[in-house]
Amino acid sequence: MRTVLAALDDTPAAVPVLASARTLATTLGARLVAMHVQTDGVDTPLDLAAAADVPLRIVRGDVVEQLIAGDHNPDVVATVIGARALRRDPRPLGTTAVAVATRTSKPMLVVPPEARLHPRFNRVLVPLEGSVVSSAAPQVLIELAPDVALDIVALHVLGRDTIPAFTDQPQHEQAAWTREFLARYCPWGLDLVHLETRVGHIDELVAEVASEYDCDMVVLGWLQDLTPGRASVVRATLARSTVPIFLIRLPAEPLAAEPDAAERDGAERDGAERGAAERGAAEPDAFPLDAAAPDVIASEGYVAADERSTRGATTEDAYRRAARETGEE
Amino acid sequence: MVTRQDAERATRHRRHECVVFDWSTERAAEAAEVRGLITMLCDHGMDVAVASDAAADSVDAALQARPAGPGNLFLCAGSAVYRADPAGLRLLRQTEHPVPWLLGELSAHGLPAEAVLTIDRADPEPVAAILAEQLRRRADVPVPLPAPEWRVEADARDRRLTRVHESLLTIADGRLGTRGSPVAGDGTTAAEVVMAGVYEGDGEASQLAPLPLWGTLSHAEPKVLVWQTLDLRSGLLVDHGPVAAVRFSSLARPATVVLRASGSPDVLPGSGRQLLPGPATAALADRRDGPVLDRIGSYHTDPAIAAAALADAEEAGFDRLLREHRQAWARRWRHADVVIDGDRHLQQAVRFALFHIMASVGDDDEAAVGARGLSGPAYLGHVFWDSDVFVLPFLAATHPSAARAMLEYRIRRLPAARAAARSLGLDGARFPWESAVAGVDVTPGSVKLPTGDEAVIRTGDLEEHIVADVAWAAACYLDWTGDVAFAAGPGGELLADTARYWASRVRLDEQGRGHIEHVMGPDEYHQPVDDNAYTNVMARWNLRRAAEVPGVAQPERDHWLALADTIVDGYHPQTGRYEQFAGFFDLEPLIIAEPGVAPRRPIAAELLFGVARTARSQVVKQADVLMLHHLVPDETVPGSLEPNLDYYEPRTAHGSSLSPAVHASILARAGRFDDALHWLTVAARMDLDDLSGSTAGGLHLATMGGLWQALAFGFAGLQVRGDRLVVRPSLPPDWRALELNLRFRGAPVRLHLSPAGQVRVDSDSARVQPVGDHWEVVTR
Repeated sequence: MRTVLAALDDTPAAVPVLASARTLATTLGARLVAMHVQTDGVDTPLDLAAAADVPLRIVRGDVVEQLIAGDHNPDVVATVIGARALRRDPRPLGTTAVAVATRTSKPMLVVPPEARLHPRFNRVLVPLEGSVVSSAAPQVLIELAPDVALDIVALHVLGRDTIPAFTDQPQHEQAAWTREFLARYCPWGLDLVHLETRVGHIDELVAEVASEYDCDMVVLGWLQDLTPGRASVVRATLARSTVPIFLIRLPAEPLAAEPDAAERDGAERDGAERGAAERGAAEPDAFPLDAAAPDVIASEGYVAADERSTRGATTEDAYRRAARETGEE
Repeated sequence: MVTRQDAERATRHRRHECVVFDWSTERAAEAAEVRGLITMLCDHGMDVAVASDAAADSVDAALQARPAGPGNLFLCAGSAVYRADPAGLRLLRQTEHPVPWLLGELSAHGLPAEAVLTIDRADPEPVAAILAEQLRRRADVPVPLPAPEWRVEADARDRRLTRVHESLLTIADGRLGTRGSPVAGDGTTAAEVVMAGVYEGDGEASQLAPLPLWGTLSHAEPKVLVWQTLDLRSGLLVDHGPVAAVRFSSLARPATVVLRASGSPDVLPGSGRQLLPGPATAALADRRDGPVLDRIGSYHTDPAIAAAALADAEEAGFDRLLREHRQAWARRWRHADVVIDGDRHLQQAVRFALFHIMASVGDDDEAAVGARGLSGPAYLGHVFWDSDVFVLPFLAATHPSAARAMLEYRIRRLPAARAAARSLGLDGARFPWESAVAGVDVTPGSVKLPTGDEAVIRTGDLEEHIVADVAWAAACYLDWTGDVAFAAGPGGELLADTARYWASRVRLDEQGRGHIEHVMGPDEYHQPVDDNAYTNVMARWNLRRAAEVPGVAQPERDHWLALADTIVDGYHPQTGRYEQFAGFFDLEPLIIAEPGVAPRRPIAAELLFGVARTARSQVVKQADVLMLHHLVPDETVPGSLEPNLDYYEPRTAHGSSLSPAVHASILARAGRFDDALHWLTVAARMDLDDLSGSTAGGLHLATMGGLWQALAFGFAGLQVRGDRLVVRPSLPPDWRALELNLRFRGAPVRLHLSPAGQVRVDSDSARVQPVGDHWEVVTR
């Protein structure tokens, strides 16, 4: 069953993580499962999951390894993780988020601690850099948009070197250029997305346009490389955005031409296989989502919904308590 | 390396359009069989030529063939060429080289060498067998094999460029345009059929109406890769792939379309007829014979006329329609081709441009020529100055009836233009910046710029130079044709009413100087401005030119001439420069050509620097002052081209697709060949390389017209002066020659120019002579 896996820690940041994960699961038509890797306390995830009526799996071990193992389950279509535990943390991504984000094989929704909570995503910003490869990242979401009443705002930022040669009569040229841009680089979005263009630095403009259009989420394709000098857009958007960022891994090699459907599927498969091969044997096994699975690493047990509900906590309560513990409040 | 086309040319086992064979009267035994085959081949539109050493009478007596056509039977016997038809044997030409002469004639009528199958007497295969094979192949899809300079090819495997290819491969006949979508498309393409002047919607939303499609047979995804070839010489679009097809939009019968396709029976439709309603009705008839489909269609706003035209076309049949279409294109090219000896790539690009201009403009009734012609939905089919100033001159100089049709479009909208002037409290006629059906302004009011800023579009309010531009187009037509009736009638009326507009628009100051304030010139980065040099000088020219119109009352004529003399033009005698508008010289001297200022040119400078800073600077979008040197050089101060070129070109971003060709023209006149060729190449590759990123929405027809002007007015230095055509060649040393085919004052003229400055004319009705520092062509 298609599953969105919410990685909850024992901090207030878990609140928007779970809320965003629920929203994402609703959008994708997937079930939501929460997961917590226990290092010390478990109250926050327990309370949150109970309050939200979400199954929670608690495991022990290395946090990163367990989260990676979790998303290796073939049912998992996306994982959701907090960007960082503390609002005042100057880093766009905390250590755990960085480690998971750069290794996960699944799309990952990164939720900033200050993210607003939405019961559903209404509008999503999809930056397009002007290649078929990059616009493949949000393809599923774009194609899903009409069914879930999702507005997709695409953004292409023109830099000094990519400013068009001609504007002729902009009252006509812009429409012609825009349509061809989408047809060429995001054909699946031709009649489904609204393309905005801006001139400047994309690092700065993604979060700005997301705010301007009141977007609930930003979708970014990336190569899972956060080494210095790479992923500047992801880094800058994570630092500036107050809405969740959906990070989707791109094929490592740019495609020479728009592939047909069969070729595209093949490319994605190849990319996934290549990625798996590159990660090699160091990757942990897939983490089972079902309680009866034989290879559970460690767990306090599968907390049934009815058990959790007896704890009487609400999301708000959990948030307050966690905030007190971490000094955020 | 032998190319695929070379290899195909080499084989005779393909459909040809003409066969030439040696035949001896000694082979009388096969005469009856050959006669029958010749008759049937000619009946299917093939030309047949029989070459023999024997006398024509004896060959004719042995063959006794009298085909009724549409194909012709020629006898090349002895030193003469005859045509044999039901009326008898008629001498066409006495010549020592009858076969070469005939081949030359056939080529001139649309049958190039690769379409001719030549069989010599040493061929071991019996002539009858070869003719029989050709007869069988009349059912094949005809595949023209033009040389690279005469074709455009598109590889359908690069699907990112599908829509660009569809624009590039548009086939049109002046009335109907069909984008070159693959015949077996997959539904992701942007197929479109439009008819000139048939709009839908109102006001700024008015657009060329999409019509029912005819050229797409199936939406099934073809699994085998295809490529497409557009034969520029004869306007044939060929698909190579699992469905092989040839399509054309008949230049001989505008709005009649023809398709022959061959492929798997499950892809091709069966025989049948359709009457597809729309803003123009499409009447289609399919005739299926095994794996071959012939589709013939006609379009008209009146369904009955569409059906009748279809019936006529069906009666003619595929081969006759193909033949007359080829011949129509051959006639057009005969008086329009440009040959650049020394640059094959440029040669191909120029023919590509000329082909599309000719295909986009009809030559009867009225011709509404939108910015992208009939090749795509961009710019909505709206008519700009592009058509008057950039497209029309080529047609005025090669196919005047098409230029006249374009002017007819303006003339029929004079009442709307007069009403527009009246609404502003002015006299005369004010043509709209963007025009569609009614002739009222349909310029959209706003746009969201690529910067994200909402911008009010003021071209419709401010770009008044369109008034003089339309007048200039009328004068251009008059100059090239000497059409007295037009001058005395609607053309004179147009010139007079545009002059009356300026006469009421010019404000005289206390010193008696004339000003035109609050306008926008071609440089749309700066708006509104006062005393734009281009607007003022074009208005001045308009007043002076209208004063020559017969029938204008003397007092009004005198007033125009006096007023013209008062109009300020911003000329500074000390520097030799025109100030583009009042205050331009005081703006920030941002020289965009200087290293580091811009990453490249051409570039949309308002996006690079921002709209506000660009407006505060001296960065220019396109030729503005220099446009005067291009269009009305006699209105500029002698010797002022170079100082203004030196000043303005480095300040020009060339952010309009109209700019490169005009600069190529001016730079050629200045003898600056490196720069001239650079900008000429930009103009030439505009659509072929999709330099704007918007070719998918249609072709840049004005750039194409500008390309011809650069060659004709720039490199050849053509300028009409009265009844003389002045020629001042200025060719780059790498070119071996430039040849222009023209019609001047009704006379067909083939001009040969050399880099050394020599000029030669091939014409029975015109001659050329050196006069001072230039040459002059005069008609006899």
